[in-house]
Amino acid sequence: MTTSFTLNGQACSLTCQPETPLVKVLRDELAMTATKEACSIGRCGACLVLINGKAANACLTMAFQIAGADVVTTEGLENDPLATAIRLALAEENAFQCGYCAPGFVMALVALLKEHPAPSEDEIRASLEGNICRCTGYHSIMRGALAAVRLVQETMK
Amino acid sequence: MQVVSPASLSDALALQSQDGNRLCAGGTALQLEWTKGLAKPDRLVSLASISELKGIDAGLESLRVGALTTLADLIRARDISVALPLLHHALGKIAAPSIRNQATLGGNIAGLSGCLLPALLVLEAKVAWLTPAGATEMPLENWLSGHSLNGILTHAMLPSQGPEDRWTFRKIGLRAAFTPSVINVAARLSLGAEGDVLSARIAVGGGIVAPVRLSEAERFLEGQALEAVDWKGLHACLMETIAAPADAFRSAAYRKSVAANALVHGLGGELPDRKVYRACAPEYDVVPPEGELLLSRQEQPNAWHERPDMAAKVAGRLNYLTDVRKPDMLVGRILRAGLPHARILSLDTSVAEALPGVVSVVTHRDIKGSNAFGIVIQDQPALCYDKVRHCGDPVAAVAAIDAETAERALSLIRVEYEELETVTDAQAALLPDAPFVHDNGNLQRELHFSRGDAEAGFRRAAHVIEETYVTPRQMHGFMETEGGHAYVDEDGLLHVFAGGQHGARDRLQLARILAMPEERIRVVTSPTGGAFGGKDELTVQPVLALLALKSRRPVRLQLSRAESVLAGQKRNPMSIRMKTAIDSEGKLVAHEVDVLAEAGAYASLGPGVLETALEHAAGPYIIENVRTSGRLAYTNNGTCGAFRGFGANQLTFAIECQMDKLAAECGLTALEIRRRNLRKPTDAGYLGQLVAPTERSEEMLAAAGASKLWTCPQGPQPDGEWIVGTGMALNYQGNGLGSVVPDPAGGRLSLSKTGMIEGGFGLDELGQGLLTLVKATVAAELGCARQDVEAVTGDTAAAPDSGSTTASRGTYVVWATTRRAAPEFADKMRKAAGRILGRDPDMLALAPGGFKERGTNSGDLLLSFRQLADELDEGELPSVTVAYEFPKNDYTAGNARLIFAFGAALARVAVSRVTGEVRVLDLHQHTAAGPVMDLAAYLGQIEGGAVQGLGFTLTEDAPMRDARYMTANLDTYMLPGIQDSARHMRVFALESLDANDAYGPRGVGELGIGAVTPAIANAVFAATGHLRTVTPFQPEEILAALVERP
Repeated sequence: MTTSFTLNGQACSLTCQPETPLVKVLRDELAMTATKEACSIGRCGACLVLINGKAANACLTMAFQIAGADVVTTEGLENDPLATAIRLALAEENAFQCGYCAPGFVMALVALLKEHPAPSEDEIRASLEGNICRCTGYHSIMRGALAAVRLVQETMK
Repeated sequence: MQVVSPASLSDALALQSQDGNRLCAGGTALQLEWTKGLAKPDRLVSLASISELKGIDAGLESLRVGALTTLADLIRARDISVALPLLHHALGKIAAPSIRNQATLGGNIAGLSGCLLPALLVLEAKVAWLTPAGATEMPLENWLSGHSLNGILTHAMLPSQGPEDRWTFRKIGLRAAFTPSVINVAARLSLGAEGDVLSARIAVGGGIVAPVRLSEAERFLEGQALEAVDWKGLHACLMETIAAPADAFRSAAYRKSVAANALVHGLGGELPDRKVYRACAPEYDVVPPEGELLLSRQEQPNAWHERPDMAAKVAGRLNYLTDVRKPDMLVGRILRAGLPHARILSLDTSVAEALPGVVSVVTHRDIKGSNAFGIVIQDQPALCYDKVRHCGDPVAAVAAIDAETAERALSLIRVEYEELETVTDAQAALLPDAPFVHDNGNLQRELHFSRGDAEAGFRRAAHVIEETYVTPRQMHGFMETEGGHAYVDEDGLLHVFAGGQHGARDRLQLARILAMPEERIRVVTSPTGGAFGGKDELTVQPVLALLALKSRRPVRLQLSRAESVLAGQKRNPMSIRMKTAIDSEGKLVAHEVDVLAEAGAYASLGPGVLETALEHAAGPYIIENVRTSGRLAYTNNGTCGAFRGFGANQLTFAIECQMDKLAAECGLTALEIRRRNLRKPTDAGYLGQLVAPTERSEEMLAAAGASKLWTCPQGPQPDGEWIVGTGMALNYQGNGLGSVVPDPAGGRLSLSKTGMIEGGFGLDELGQGLLTLVKATVAAELGCARQDVEAVTGDTAAAPDSGSTTASRGTYVVWATTRRAAPEFADKMRKAAGRILGRDPDMLALAPGGFKERGTNSGDLLLSFRQLADELDEGELPSVTVAYEFPKNDYTAGNARLIFAFGAALARVAVSRVTGEVRVLDLHQHTAAGPVMDLAAYLGQIEGGAVQGLGFTLTEDAPMRDARYMTANLDTYMLPGIQDSARHMRVFALESLDANDAYGPRGVGELGIGAVTPAIANAVFAATGHLRTVTPFQPEEILAALVERP
């Protein structure tokens, strides 16, 4: 089937099996590999994208489900001021190690801060329950996320 | 599969009743079914376009919630948080935020296993269906007991809770959050003006537990005054009436008892038959070691440097080796045995080869060299030929134009097997009549070491403790699964790009398999998305190489997570019998250790893991009489090998728990028993081997004693659920491969044509921070800036061999290489600069950015590194390469390390009286590993190691039954999530080295994991009076211990 949707602001149309997971579409059909795939069953959050502004696991989103939707991937956050601030804060805090989970964590935080610009520490932690990081033990990510919240509040008032 | 998206309910209804059609709401659960092997329908009827199925409408007494409303929208709905706080709370406890954006109320209900069902049951939800006979509405409970309706769930009607209702909801899982349900409970009591229970609604459900109201328990409560409820009676009634099945992870009895506990506790009742323990921490009067630093950006802002790769990683701009896509690239797939033990009778790939789109199929027949690999013992075929020894064994591989074609081709390869009897555990493997996994038997390795006279020691004992410690088949769980790409260039040179931990050795192993000279192979191993030892051995490299050579096209291949679980290495499971004696003075007098370790189907580094385990059997203690033995057994249970800690952490768990148990036995504190037995500087190891200076065990013990955690609240908490305790453990972790193993090291300093000072190392950036370490170390040694330095790593064509990126050896290798190469390199640099500037080279000094005049404070650069490089031809660029052996002692009777790093871990934990689960409140790690070369990397290694250790202790295992994994993916393999991590962590470092220490900074890659398990175990021991000796700790056993103990 042919599915048409908006990908990072551009109209996009592609032909594939309707149940093809979006993460395969991105990584294999479109060679957009900033979205990572690590479990393929929605249990690690490495492949998070935004669908109509909300965080979604690209591995659990079938191609037919994005028909007409607005899909934003990690590549599409390049000029997003909120994402830029979050990335800056995470990088400064050395939030990650191997970094394979990083785009997914960034996406979860973008989704959180779009909806709640001033989350509490507990709210940040809850928002990251779907993301697995094997390297850091999460504390550096939390330090980065808290720094991101501060930075966003300072720069984006 | 075809997908139809009807726009109206009536169209959907017509489609729904047709054979082979299946309804789809959010589709989250549906796709999980497919990954588990359930067949896809011919046609999927998507309900997503039907607007009548969406939305929340507030009525007078109840809410109407469309079946397609997502769980996230339900959480956001103010109508629900106000009128149905129970439901609002429950929604936050199920799935994860991104899943809740997709999963729907209808899916949760109609799937029958939804976590919300108990909540909806006690809220007396009604479900409305459209059937061919018309619309119908009924209580959820009635539908659940019949659920044979033919139709579409359109909405649920949710009556408001009473504002004064007492309610509870709890999801009990395998970890703290985003977990499969073990059992979920919900209850809601309507209270009269006098506090009497007018009506009670109680339910259980979730996962494999059938959602059901517990009417007997409801009747038990109704009419009672809440103040005077017989909670013990309610608990007994719940235990009698809750029905729950068992699975591979939790027993039926556990599900029942935690549900009963959670309901009683959640409604405000007392848990029955549970003693209140007087857990308290000793008061220590100890002075912390001088100079110990709390590591953090706030404390040392000037030492904080952003890693060179961090911005690219965060932005998703860093290309991993599995991210490479090229237009002509083929996709590889591997055919796995699927049987744990079988003889291959025939192997026919002709049909697969004929499939259009298939470019190459490889089998053992394509292997020109030795079809056997293994870092130490070459017992593992690159592609199986005579038999398969575990389910994940590779038999053939395909390269095709796309993944779908490659997968289809796999299904067309015909392999005839004769199944053989399987060996499913290490104990059974060594029985006389066990079938052989390898022709020479199942005992892969047997080791014995002794010192003194253990029997005599035991005869002098005042107390003897004997325990058996059992440790799990932990999975590395690196986020980037094994994979990469390969191609053959126009000169016939083979390039293999796959995450690894020692490119030169991967190349050597490939050369043997392919019968190619090493010079004809280039191996690129960085960057890698995590390894932890699990990419030390070859993974996909042989197949990638074979496919690239045969197809003469670029090929990429990456294991899916499920395939990685099936085929990837795990930590060697161990059973450690440890018998330790202490005399009346509190001195250790005898120690006997017997380790049975499982290799799985191939040895890999298992023998080294076993030997390292035994090397650490006595911990940092002096014991006159020690006898240790170890056996490593082949089985058909997957494969095992290197994993952070490499056997040391398992034995540290055992010895450090023995110390606390002995302390309790003889009335000493944890601190005092360790103080009386601690190694002193210059003491030999228990084998008599030389140990390098800078012993810091005493300082680590003092740091542990002075910890503030001992004075934090301990014992039963006012909430009636949690019992808090604090424990400690010391750590003593060797660096390097050891005394009897070749351990070559080396590297290069050079000036690049672009003016960068390159640190060239055949080490790998796995996430640990190698790149930042190289910058820090080279800059510190040469006097230039970090920005002047570029790390060149992980490519056999670009950097000399430095040995493996394992065994906490990288920090030393980078430091020692730089120290060795720096004088000559700086000299060459100054000479070259002097020539250009027409100055005396001895009067020049390397400085940030370039060269300055020696001895001046002036910031003026005479010549930048860039200018120097511009002036020189390629061949003139200064370069110094060094090679040497990693420091070792001369002990040859066994493998033993010379250099050690030291640590102490303290854990403050809370044990749930409701579920038997353990949560780590505080985890403090004190470390002594010499100078901290890079603050962020050091901190990251200790913190990250800690949480891997926490997982090993509390949630992680890949159990097997009949030589098959019981877990296939991260849905049931419980890597710690953010809510499982220690709530508060602190890392401290004591950087000093002895004046005669020649070994510089120690590696900390493994230091962070070693003492975490025993610290948690000792904390649980302090909280409950029970020592857990089997990891991961089973909540069921902790719960049972809490009940039994007087």
